[in-house]
Amino acid sequence: MDRKKEIENKKRRFPASTDIFQDEEAVVLTMEMPGVSKENLHIKVDKDLLIIHGERKADEDAGHYRIREIRQGDYYQEYTIDDTIDREKIEATISNGLVTLKLGVKESEKPRKITVQVK
Amino acid sequence: MAIVKWKNPRLYDPWADLQNLQNEINDLFNYDRVPSSTGLFDRSVTPAIDFVEGENDYTVKCELPGLEQKDIDVSIASNVLTIKGSKEENKEEKKGKYYKKEIWSGSFQRTISLPATVDSSKISAELKDGLLTIILSRKEETKPKQISVSVK
Repeated sequence: MDRKKEIENKKRRFPASTDIFQDEEAVVLTMEMPGVSKENLHIKVDKDLLIIHGERKADEDAGHYRIREIRQGDYYQEYTIDDTIDREKIEATISNGLVTLKLGVKESEKPRKITVQVK
Repeated sequence: MAIVKWKNPRLYDPWADLQNLQNEINDLFNYDRVPSSTGLFDRSVTPAIDFVEGENDYTVKCELPGLEQKDIDVSIASNVLTIKGSKEENKEEKKGKYYKKEIWSGSFQRTISLPATVDSSKISAELKDGLLTIILSRKEETKPKQISVSVK
């Protein structure tokens, strides 16, 4: 029971809506984080763990909520990435609450074309 | 799989999934938003809004991630506020595969009936970090008045 309380007391965290697209060059994550600014977006890579955390400040507006559909809390998601991802080629951009995270694939892992010689 | 969702056992609450499921089912029964269909193949979507009734003003917040000013159209007629717009996904031909696709695109429209007439000359709308905030001032005569009671 204590554990349940502990979870309830923590700030709510939930994953953002995400598109994950992979091609030969990179894995691209697009995440919708309305209300998250550049300063409040934290992306960390720790060995195989990729942590994406978009903080939002909880602001209660004074008054009576007639409609309340916007979820309160932070955007939080963790992923495990394997060795095909080049740790040096990770870049993130945010604009209008839309986060694009590009994880570059290592050169050695990219599919290579082998040209066939005709003799 | 180059990328796998990871669940931290310390953070993972076994009740959360059940709770979410229950909430989702409850929402189905409480669903009072009728999505307006715009066409046969146009999926209509509705961004989440908050509507707060303050003492002197109404605040409307709307989540519109990835949209720019030119994509959004806010209008008011008597006491009906309409937020319209469209969200286009980039239609480039890409070679690759999607692991996950949760982001919607298409046109949307939300209408809100305001409880009282607002001063249409004093409306501010601001778009920041994909969050649209509209503040509407109430007209003087519709504000609640404090009546002082004198004791004799």
